[in-house]
Order: sequence, then structure tokens, then C-alpha cells
Amino acid sequence: MKRWFTRVGWRHLVGVSAVAFSLFPILFVISAALNPLGTLSSTELVPTGATITNAVNLFDRTAFGHWYVNSIMIAGTASVTAVFLSLLAAYAFSRMRFAGRRVGLLALLLIQMFPQFLAIVTIFLIFSEISDYWPSIGLNTSWGLIMLYLGGALGVNTWLMKGFLDTVPKELDESARIDGASHVQVFFQIVLPLVTPILAVVGLLSFIMTINEFLMANVFLTHPESKTLAVGLFGLVAGERNNNFGLFCAGSLLTAIPTVVVFQFLQRFIVSGLTSGAVKG
Amino acid sequence: MGKRDTGAVETRPPRPHRASASRGPDPSDRSLTTGGLIAKTLMLGLVTAFAIWAAFPLIDAGSWGWLAGEIVVVVVVFVVYLRRPLPMKYLLPGTLLLLAFQVAPVLYTMSTAFTNFGDGHRGDKREAIVSIQTSSVTQVEGSTEYTLSVATRGDALVFLLADPDGAAYLADRDGVRALPAATVDGGRVTAAPGYTLLNLGQVNARSQEIGDLRVPTDGGVIIASGATRAFEAKANRGYDAGCDCIIEIDTGRRWTADNHIGSFVDAAGERLPQGWRVNVGLDNFQAVLTDPDISRPFLRTLVWNLGFALASTFGTFAIGLLCALALHSDRVRGRKLYRALLVLPYAMPSFAMLLVWRDMFNADFGLINRLLSMHVDWFGQPWTARAAAIAVQLWLGYPYMFLVATGALQAIPREMTEASAVDGASPWQSFRRVTLPLLLVALSPLLISSFAYNFNNFNAVYLTTEGGPFPADNPSVGATDLLITYTYRLAFGGAGAQYGFAAAVSIYIFTIVAVISAVSFRRTRKQEEVYS
Amino acid sequence: MRIRTAGVTAAITLTLLASACGGSDDTATNDASARTDGNLVIWADDKRTEALRPFAEQFGTDNGLTVEVQAVSKDLQTNFVTASQSGKAPDVVVGAHDWIGNLVQNGAIDPVQLSAAQQQAFSDLAMQGVSYNGQIYGIPYAIENLALIRNTELAPTAPATIEDLVATGQRLGTAGKTSEIMALQVGENGDAYHIYPLYTSAGGSLFGVKDNGDYDPKDLGVAKPEAVEAFKKIAALGEKGAGALKRSITPENAIATFTSKKTAFLVSGPWALTDVKKAGITYEVTPVPGFAGGSVARPFVGVQTFYVATKGQNKVAAQEFVTNYVTRTDLAKALYDAEPRPPALTAALDQVASSDPDAMAFLEAGKDGTILPAIPEMAAIWDPFGKAEAAVIGGADPATAIPAAATAISDKIK
Repeated sequence: MKRWFTRVGWRHLVGVSAVAFSLFPILFVISAALNPLGTLSSTELVPTGATITNAVNLFDRTAFGHWYVNSIMIAGTASVTAVFLSLLAAYAFSRMRFAGRRVGLLALLLIQMFPQFLAIVTIFLIFSEISDYWPSIGLNTSWGLIMLYLGGALGVNTWLMKGFLDTVPKELDESARIDGASHVQVFFQIVLPLVTPILAVVGLLSFIMTINEFLMANVFLTHPESKTLAVGLFGLVAGERNNNFGLFCAGSLLTAIPTVVVFQFLQRFIVSGLTSGAVKG
Repeated sequence: MGKRDTGAVETRPPRPHRASASRGPDPSDRSLTTGGLIAKTLMLGLVTAFAIWAAFPLIDAGSWGWLAGEIVVVVVVFVVYLRRPLPMKYLLPGTLLLLAFQVAPVLYTMSTAFTNFGDGHRGDKREAIVSIQTSSVTQVEGSTEYTLSVATRGDALVFLLADPDGAAYLADRDGVRALPAATVDGGRVTAAPGYTLLNLGQVNARSQEIGDLRVPTDGGVIIASGATRAFEAKANRGYDAGCDCIIEIDTGRRWTADNHIGSFVDAAGERLPQGWRVNVGLDNFQAVLTDPDISRPFLRTLVWNLGFALASTFGTFAIGLLCALALHSDRVRGRKLYRALLVLPYAMPSFAMLLVWRDMFNADFGLINRLLSMHVDWFGQPWTARAAAIAVQLWLGYPYMFLVATGALQAIPREMTEASAVDGASPWQSFRRVTLPLLLVALSPLLISSFAYNFNNFNAVYLTTEGGPFPADNPSVGATDLLITYTYRLAFGGAGAQYGFAAAVSIYIFTIVAVISAVSFRRTRKQEEVYS
Repeated sequence: MRIRTAGVTAAITLTLLASACGGSDDTATNDASARTDGNLVIWADDKRTEALRPFAEQFGTDNGLTVEVQAVSKDLQTNFVTASQSGKAPDVVVGAHDWIGNLVQNGAIDPVQLSAAQQQAFSDLAMQGVSYNGQIYGIPYAIENLALIRNTELAPTAPATIEDLVATGQRLGTAGKTSEIMALQVGENGDAYHIYPLYTSAGGSLFGVKDNGDYDPKDLGVAKPEAVEAFKKIAALGEKGAGALKRSITPENAIATFTSKKTAFLVSGPWALTDVKKAGITYEVTPVPGFAGGSVARPFVGVQTFYVATKGQNKVAAQEFVTNYVTRTDLAKALYDAEPRPPALTAALDQVASSDPDAMAFLEAGKDGTILPAIPEMAAIWDPFGKAEAAVIGGADPATAIPAAATAISDKIK
């Protein structure tokens, strides 16, 4: 028994406690989403009623469907592109030595520390100019917002991926280079497969970040049908106090679904045993 | 720093192709496969096509500055992908976007620290003058109110007016004349020979022209109000370039332009609300230093800010890593389910959950006090509020660390841990000696960037404690205030937003964080080089 | 002298012409071509967007335009100013009248010209709200203020004073019928808007008034000894006193506390009624009671207003919409049905009053109210004032908290 505990049991103990910690505030949300009154009742953790009116109203009374599609489209495109762009950059930072490398890395970190709420005015000015020339990538368009998000792609992701690339032995790609592979081939055929788990992780992380981004999207998107979930949902509680709370909670839960689906899809890459096989070679 | 990097590389056994990679055209580029060549051609072709598409509107509008910028970008892309050193090929796409949408806005915003930019001082002086004059336009007292029908004669826009007695007039740039031929029905001109009446849609399409059409009269000008009414108006305030001042006609009061503060000021020192943006040099920076509300609590806020960032970063890392380790075993059944449930906090919209947490910490009605059968005024006392803010952040942030650590553990070759187990090491020893060091190589850059993120984690504080509790004798800095939430209140809490001032505060903060990060970043170099 | 004045007038009129033309040329060359599609854009918050959309679209259909009502969920005012600055402003904005000061100082809105008859159609309070520096800056459409909403099952008679209210609340508490004396939202950082009626009843004020009736930001009421005295009375209702005011009553739970019958009294605005009705509570709306022997409790009166954006591209349609469509009685009535706030148009109010006593009750509760000051300096009040309030309710000494707030406010006003 003790042996079982030291080998497996503690793992379940940690897992169960963590799940409990994770879930109890969410139960609250579920309870409110099912509450027919749809108010934020601060005392009930267990649902006091069960109704799907909130979810139904969400689709009836708001452009929830549009928000959903927009969010998935924007978060999907932006995160896939962001992963690719930052992988490229991380590869350079990890594998190559060039003047300004460390300064560049540091600059990537620092640029993100500037408070975004101050830069909003400037970003708006830039995009209002862009809208004048190219309305299809300007304000109120998904493409404009995606571009804006991609501006931040290099930031956190590059750091994350550089760390992982550093753990992939350099001898691997160097021997491949000696065998005559071009650097592009090394990148796509040797390095990329080795870092699949981390690509999946970074992809998921940036998907979540994008789908939850509010500050920029709120300024950027005003057409009711071009909004994202984060902006639309916030609008439900932003108005007068709490009478949309049930709708809001139902919306929050539905918002979590794409993320969970993406996670389930990526899980097999995250836990795949690919790496151990490759390192042997 | 760059030079030292090269030094570090040179201490390693020289590898000819690597050296050439960073110093000039890569020889392997020339041995590109056909596929690669096609891909490159395609990509550059796409860039060209995109550039041409983008150039047309610019040429149309005569925006030569933007066009020049675009050409520079295209040239850079071509040079990099056809000739320049290898690293740039990997860095360029992300860097261009970074420069356009992060670096440029940040630099521009920083530059506003040298101005009085903010509410009341957003535009230039001319805009302020126009706004002052427009705001002073009133109906000439006792003048007639007309109904308006906007019409055209040929292509020229005219106003067809009817007074309350039903008499019709023609009004244009030359003045007002009677128009007896017009049909007046229901108090409005509905038809007039030789004129085409416009409907609202058509009128609106010519908003600009209508706004500019001012019909001179003896007492002022007749202007349109909407599409159906017109009245005789005069501007009561006007700008006189001679004295560089605004004069109020009724009273003769004067406000003289003060070009140092960007406002019109009268003799008594009262300002007109509409000001303009001027350069104020280092005033904002000086104000930050001399303002006791900022300088006095600054150190305390900084210390808590650092504590919050460290606790959030390492706390989430510890919990996340523990969970990742626990689930990193084939023996655990239901791992997929565990993992899916663990990431839920991260999948929920964070602002929603922050609000829920705030409610759970409510002293009288909150779930936490009820579950623990306590009556703690969580957000009402400095230390409990701080603990609560960190607890919420742990909940929100640990799934992130869990995911990253899971990925990192997967990337560690199992052979290495197995080998150490064979050597007789206990699981804990093998974790300490093998797994953890490897994890830290992978994750220490991430820990730094996570620290940086939490240092500026606006929502975590703003949506929970809002910086409070605030000491009774100082409502400007609270116990859980981060520098960024504090800056936010400075920027938006006063009589209108003060962007210039807030930018100056941000630059100070930025400098501090930059130094801290740069120092801790230097330490990572050891690890990086040891490993490679 | 006479001649000289005339000369100046002429010169000024000319500059007005020139600069107005010049200004518009400058900002609009690019956009004029891009947006002649006759697309009137209205920005509002989420609630009002929903209520307005059908009517705005009707206006469009009637006049051969397309009208789009867009919701900006957060920071509508800031976003509008930012958008104005870059020439991407909507044509019409709907917001509270106390934005006027800030919007004017940023040159974001134009005055509107109403005929005398049109002005008389609105209630005086509403016109007072939208007037600023001798101009009318927007069209009022609804008035809102706080009132006392009472559960008539638990408390059949309306309390005459706040002391009465506390006594009833305590009695209900002892009888085990309710757990809270009243629900007046405070929150950890206070809520100046909701405490204001009690503050005024206890003798406090915000600003002095200039000769011309405008607020004088230099004459700060919070800095006066009366403010400290007022907060001493409020402290007696606080956590260390009667326990009627608590920081744990927050914007999130105040209405819910009332609808779940944990208290018999709620101090809130017309927006709370939707929930109260949904919860099936029998209620009555009465004015917020004041302290016994004190002044009358004056809630803030806010006026929901339509503004015409200076930098909008469809100004004629915007002016037409705002001055001649929004001012129609049937529209005001319809807007009321969509969202019950007392209409600013007297005629519409009369129609509403016959069918719905709540509108009149709220109006009655606001008749002694203070029009929310529209001067930009008001923005400096909210935050420090609220924090001082929270501190006092939590048990801090008003003699330290209130002067500290006054200093913080006057530092910001300068």
C-alpha cells in the first residue's frame, strides 16, 4: 500500500486536490449559468435551479454566434501564425550567434513591459490611418486585429521556445549540416519534429491569450457582428450592474469550450513520446 | 553585449559552416533544393504582389511618406532573403510586425512624456480655436427661425427657407432673397421652379458642403441645423491673430494664448477648456519626482510589486510543476481527464473569473469565509488583501505553468532519468540532479518573462482589490497597488486623462524593470552556455 | 467704440468661416470619399444599444440612409475621444450628461440648436443637465436618479427618515426575517454616487456655485468642515455603528441581496427594477430618506443624452436625427418601454405616468436632486471621495479620511 502510494497514489492525491482547486470557482459560474434568475448570487455554490434559458437567450438576444465564430477565427489564425513566427525567431536566437542577439532578446522582453493602456491611443491612430488606405485590414476588421496581435507574437513565445530549443542538443543539427542538409532542411526536418510538444503548448497558450484578449479588441471592434467573445461578454455585465450575470456566466462557459477542444486535440502532441525516439538517433 | 556573444561562440571548437552562417551569404543557400527555390520565389512573389496592392491607395492619396516606408520594407525583405546573413531570415517576419505594432506605438507614446498630451490638450492650436469658435455659436437673439429645404440649382447647393408666416426665401452665398414662386406647404418649401429638392439621404451625402454654406446676413450668418431647420447665428468668441488671443464679443473679455501650457488664459488666470498640445520638456519628469503623493509611497509600492511578481511567478511555477510531475507517469489512469480539468481555470475568460473571485472574498457574503467559517475582511486589511490577490493569481496562472512544465518534461529524454534510476538514485534525487536542472534550462527564460508579465499584471489587481485597501489618510496609493494600477489612476483618475504625465511615470517604472530584468537575464547566460 | 466692436464682430465672423472650412478640409479629405455611403453610426453602451437599434434603423429606412448602432462596452467616453482625435468618430454618441465638460474640452461634440418650443418640451432638470457654459450640448432623453425601493411585504410603510429605516431594518433582523438592514452599495473602495443622498442630507456638498449658476471647481465642498460632520453621521450608520452601511454590499450583490429578500430596503436606480420585477417582489419606490433633522437627501440626477460628434462624417443626418427624431414623443415612449427610465420629454412622461407609477415615483425621488456636475473637474472627485467613504464606513475617523480625500482632489484639480 505504501509502495502504491509512493509510486502512484500521491499522483492521484495531487491531481484530485488540484482539480478541486481548479474547479470550485467554476462551479460558481455553472450555478449562476443555470440559475433562472440569472443574477450573481454570492452564496450558492450548488445550483438553485436548472434552466437553459440563459444559454438560449444568449443566442437569441445577442450576436453570440458571430462572436463565437470571430473569436475562433481570430484566435486560431493568430495563434498558428504566432507560433510559426516565434519559432523562426527562437530558432535564430537559440542556434545562431550574431551581434545583438542578447540585446534583441532583452528588448523583446522589455517592450512588453510598457503599459498597453497608454499605447492604445497611438495604436488607434496608426490603425485609423491604415483604415484610410486599406479598409480591409483597418479598424473593425479581423485581419487588422490579427496583425496587431501578431505584433506581440515574438514577445513571450520566443522566450518560451528558445528555452526549449536550447535543450535540443545542437550536435543533432550540426551533424545533419555536415551531411549536407541546408539550414531550412535542418529546421523543418530535424528541429521541428523534436519540439512538437512545445509547439502544441505554445499554440494553446497563444490561442487562450488571444481568445481572452479584451483591451485592444474593445477599442478595435465596434460593429456588433465583428466583436469577439471577450468584448461581447464583457458588454453583458458592463452595463447596469448584475442583471445579465446568468447570461454572462453561460457565455463564459461556452467560451471555454473551444479552448478545451483545442487542448484535447493538442494533448496527444504534448504527451507524444516522439522526442525520446528522436534523441536516440 | 553582442561582441561578448561572439566571444562565447569562439571559445567553442570552430565549425566552419557555422562561422560563415553569421558572416555573409550562406554557402548552403546556393545548394538550395529546387523545392526550396520555388518556395522562396513564391514567397518573394507574394510579397511583391502584396506590396503592389498596398501601394495603389497610397499613390491615390498622395501619401508619399507611407509609400516610402513601404518601399523600404520591401527592399529590406528582398535584401534579407536574397543576400543577408542567416539569422535575419528567421527573425525578419516577426520583427517587422513587432516594429510596426509594438515598438512604434511604444516609442511614440514615450515621446508624449515630453508634452502635455491629455484631455483638453489633444489636438493642435488651430483645432482648439475652431472648437472654441464653434462652441460659441448661438442664435442671434430675436432672429427668425426658418424651416429649411436643401435644394440644388444645377450643381450648386442652396437653402430654401420658409419663415413662420409662410414666406419663402432663397439663401445662398450671396445672401437671402425672397422667393415668391416657391410652394410652401405645412410650413416648409416643398417645391420651387428651377430647383431640385433633396431628401435626407442626398443632403447627408453633401454634409460637408452644407456645413460650409454660410449665408451672410446683417446680424451674422444663416446656417443649417440638421436638414430641416436653419437659423441666424453668430459666433460670440473669435480668435484675433493680432493679439494671439480669443475675444468674447459681448463682454470684450480676452483670453491670451499661453504657448507654454497650451491654453488661452484670461487676466484672472482662468483657462478656456479647449487647449492644445505643446512641448513641455522635462516638466512631467520633474513633476513625478517632486510630487509627494508619488515619491513618498513609491518605494513601498515597488517592494510589494516585486513581491507580488515573485510570489505569482514562483508560486504558479511550483504548483504547476508539482501537478505536471504528478501526472508525468504512465501509471496514472485518467491523465487526460486530469489535464483537461486542470487547464480549465486558464480556459475561462479571466476577467470573468476575477470578478467571481472578488465576490468569493466578500467579507459577509463570500464563499471563502463561509467555507472556512471565518469572518475575515479579506480586502479590508493590507495583508489579507495581498494574500488574496496572490491566491487569485495562483489560481489563474498555475495552469499555464502546468502546461509548460508538462511540455518541458516530455522534452526531457526519458533515457536520462532512467539512467539515473539505474544508478540507484531515489526518484527525488534523480529529480533534483537530472530533471530539475534540465527543466530550468528550458524554463528560466520563461520564468523571467513571466515575472515581467506579473510585474505589470494590471487585471489581477484592478479587477479584484482595485489596489485597496487604502489607508484612511491617503486615498492615492493602496496596499495592493502595483505600479501599473497606480499609473492608471494617475493617468485617468484626475480631471481628464493625462497621458503625458502617465507616460513619464511609465518611463521611470520601465527603467527600473529594465534594470532588474537585465541583471537577472545576465545570470541566465551561464546556464545557456553551460548547457550548449 | 461702437464701430470698433462691429469691426471685431465682422473679423471674427470671417475667421469663423475660414477656420471652419479649413478645419474640415483638413480632417476630411480622405474620409469624405471613403464614407459618402450615408452610413450614420451611433455609439452607445450595451443596454442602450439594444433599446435604440430598432428606432435608429427605422429612422434610416424612412430617410434613405443606413443607420448602425454600435455598442462600446467599456470606456465609451475615452474611446469616443480617441476616435475623434483620429477622425474616426461615430456621428452620434449616447452617454450621460456629465461627459459634456470633458467632451467639450476635447472638441469632440458640437452644440445643438433647439428652437424655444423644443426646449420647453423637456423637463427643466433635463435641460439644466445638458446646458454647459451657456450652450446646449445634447438632447436629453431619459432622467435617472436613485430612490429607495422597498419590499412592501416586509416593510409596509415608507420610512420618513433614515433613522426610521434603520429601526425597521433592525426590527426585521431581530425577527429573523432579513439579515441586512438595507442594501446601499459601498464596496471596498466606496461609491460616491450611491452615498451622495445621505452625504447631502447630513450637510455635505461637492462644489460651490458661481454667480452664473455654474459649479465652481475652486470652491471644494469636501474640504469644508461640514463634510467631516456629514461623514460623522454616515459613520454612525457604518460597520462600527448601526451596521446599515457595509463595504461588503457591493455593486455586484446589492440588487441580489434585495431580490433574495435578505433586506427590505434597496437604494438604487430605475435599472434595478427589471430584476426586482423578475424576482416577483412587491415593492414601492419612494425618495431616499434623509437624516432626522437634517437637510433633504439629494440624489445625483443624471441625464442620458444624445451628442452630435464634431468629427462625424454625416453631420447633417446626425443633427437631424438628434434634434428632430429623438425629440419625438412616440420615440421617447417606445424607448421607455424598452428600458424603463423616466423620459426627459414632458409629454412622453405624462403618457408613461398613466400606465406606470414607477416612472413618476423615480422622478419624484429626484425632484430635489443635484444635477451631476458636468465640469471636467468632477472626474477628480469620484475616486478619492469613494475611498474616504469606504474608510469611514469601515470605521476610520472622518477627521483624517475626509481632509486626506480633499487634499487628493484639490491636488488633481490644481
